[in-house]
Amino acid sequence: MSLIERAREAGLDPGRGAPGELHASCAPTDFAQMAAELLDGAILSDLFATVVGEDRIVAAVITLPADDSWLILQTHLDSDRFDSVTPLVHAASWYEREIKEMYGLEPVGHPAPVNLRLHDWPESVRPMRDGLPGPVPRVRRPDQIPAVHGQGVLQIPLGPVRSGPQESAEFLFNSGGEDLVMVSPRLGYKFRGVERLAEGQSLDAGLTLAERLAGISTFSNALAFAQAAERAMGVEIERGHRVARTLLNELERLHHHFGTLGRVAEACGLAVAAAQYATLKEEALRLGALLTGHRYLRGSIAIGGMAVALPETGLRTLDRALQTWRSQAIPTADLLEATGTFTDRLENTALLPPAYAAQHDLVGPIGRASGLDRDARRDHPYSAYAGVRWEIPVRREGDALARVRVLTFEIPQSIAIILALLDDWTVAPATTGPPPSRGGSALGWSEAPGGEALHYVRVDDAGRIVRWRARPPACVNWHPFAYACASGNNLTDYPVLEASFGLSHAEFDR
Amino acid sequence: MSRWIIRGLSRGIKTTPFPSRRDAAAEGAPSAVQMDTTALTPNEALAAAEICPTTALTSTGDLRRGRLIYDIRQCVLCGKCVRAAPRSFHFTKDPRVAVSDPSRLAVQVSWAEDLKTDAPVEPDVEAVGRQLGDRWRRMFGHSLHIRHVDAGSCNGCESELQMLSSPYYDLVRLGFFFTPTPRHADALLVTGVVTRELEQPLRRTYEAMPEPKLVVAAGVCALGGGCFASSPLSHGPLDRILPVDVYVPGCPPTPLALLHGLLLAVGRAEQRFSAGGGADGD
Repeated sequence: MSLIERAREAGLDPGRGAPGELHASCAPTDFAQMAAELLDGAILSDLFATVVGEDRIVAAVITLPADDSWLILQTHLDSDRFDSVTPLVHAASWYEREIKEMYGLEPVGHPAPVNLRLHDWPESVRPMRDGLPGPVPRVRRPDQIPAVHGQGVLQIPLGPVRSGPQESAEFLFNSGGEDLVMVSPRLGYKFRGVERLAEGQSLDAGLTLAERLAGISTFSNALAFAQAAERAMGVEIERGHRVARTLLNELERLHHHFGTLGRVAEACGLAVAAAQYATLKEEALRLGALLTGHRYLRGSIAIGGMAVALPETGLRTLDRALQTWRSQAIPTADLLEATGTFTDRLENTALLPPAYAAQHDLVGPIGRASGLDRDARRDHPYSAYAGVRWEIPVRREGDALARVRVLTFEIPQSIAIILALLDDWTVAPATTGPPPSRGGSALGWSEAPGGEALHYVRVDDAGRIVRWRARPPACVNWHPFAYACASGNNLTDYPVLEASFGLSHAEFDR
Repeated sequence: MSRWIIRGLSRGIKTTPFPSRRDAAAEGAPSAVQMDTTALTPNEALAAAEICPTTALTSTGDLRRGRLIYDIRQCVLCGKCVRAAPRSFHFTKDPRVAVSDPSRLAVQVSWAEDLKTDAPVEPDVEAVGRQLGDRWRRMFGHSLHIRHVDAGSCNGCESELQMLSSPYYDLVRLGFFFTPTPRHADALLVTGVVTRELEQPLRRTYEAMPEPKLVVAAGVCALGGGCFASSPLSHGPLDRILPVDVYVPGCPPTPLALLHGLLLAVGRAEQRFSAGGGADGD
């Protein structure tokens, strides 16, 4: 049954939004039940709030595995409370906690509505709703970080300042001897209020912020933002620009995967493998600079097209480099498979069983390593992906080794996608000016290296941002992290465990 | 294991000759935007300030009488000014952009009838550029242990810092080491906007370091905030919180720029860059 049929069966009469979007609304009292009914066997891709003046909206974005459209089910609240969806659909849990801390809208019936990011903030401060008039005072609140108590249980705090050049975050290890009984991440140290900063600004300024949501997924998030804005304004993108965007999306995936695999190898003490992947990552970053003038591809995309034209000499260099990368990455991955000290540490480490992954609607390589056959490039084709063929790896083991295998499999696939694009290259000069602005709202998405990035942009007639919701993959994939930590690992597994997830803090904290 | 050794050797030597020689292959990405104050017209100046997504370029006045301030501490290298006024703004690919004197990070141009250049604008912090030189070189010139703190970055800066350990840059060959503990650290390298939650951990890390100690601010977020400067959640810039010895511009700074910043911190490199165009004229 398609998404629209399912919605009609539930008694809704969905209207059409931007291409591929269905919009439906219901009364606040029906929302939780309706969402749960629609979500039976479907995927909760996002659940977020928008508050403009007195208008308080909660919206769920729902999709089906075999349907390329999205259904946005929304409700206008008449108070600061709404019935929690979480008791019916577990994947809603972290989204609702975010709605509560950022907007002060209370999910009634949520089993544990504690803050995710704002740990010592006063309840009255709702940063996404009211903005921030000035410095936020610190309040002492009962420690909401779960901990294990008992004889022989040791609590070991890690962070927020980490050991090497890494992102800041805190983890509380509860260990019984060598066993990791529980790990409680304390996230949110890097909360910058990126989306709130964009409100009232031009789409161009929003794009600059979207590029800085997270460094290693710069392009994917900028692409999702740009597509949301373009779809909201009804702007069509010419083929040459769509192809260029596809190419850069894959180039970013390559440098991300090289980097993540390098860190897993490092965590396992394989210095040569780590150096090999670091070398490949640097080469991919240099090619990014050659093609766009920025190692992380910043400033390359524009609302309505591309801000730069990819130079022909750079594309020829890329063509040669791709062959080299393939001839380097495949034997390195084979050698990893043949290295017992590597596979032994990864096998059965940080297990995420498929049923658990499905319950959390995980995305990206982490989901694919736990049996979820999802990929926004295929399920919701965008840019030029509809015209290319590639294989999507899906494994069911759900351990660190499966995640590594998904990454190593995706590298030659990305290389093949870029080579196919280069075979049929359309030269496209850079976009000169912004498209005419028109009010509206839409979703935009891309398959970021870490999984589906889903953005929502609402823009007014003057082209100013009213609301920008960014749901990068890390927002979904941090959710099961603590569970995976507790799946029979020991303390020394932790570096491997964390590296195999390769989750971004900047993307989560925002 | 022998297969790994063969695999490692088979790729040959990748390491950059920098800082002994320039490295064209590693200089594909721009390190900073420079403003050529001689070529700038009032028309371009006002247009550039209009197009800048941050407060890196701010103008007052009109075509007849006005002023433009270019403050690299807010520049995210988006390249909009470079595309809009290519005669006056250009990307420099020379990675030697780190400075210890913050007055080099900003330049002011004013016009009344004719365009003329004023002296660099006064930094809004007092005497933060400590005299670096022989003392630091004697002390840390052969070995510098670096404690990095992410004070609220996008992870772009960390990604580049991680590349410093890759075969291409190999910072250890220059006597630089990342250290997990502030107690062993000689230098504090800070990235990010300094969020509300990370201000305390940052201060405590600094306090835990023994004297003498150096502070390096890396990336536009630490320098001035860039596109996050207006956020009340950003408690920076870093030199309002800690005494900064070296500033490394960039969004993120390239690995070579970071190496130059570290070399400058220990007196093994010169500061060459200034926002208004350097002596090297890249």
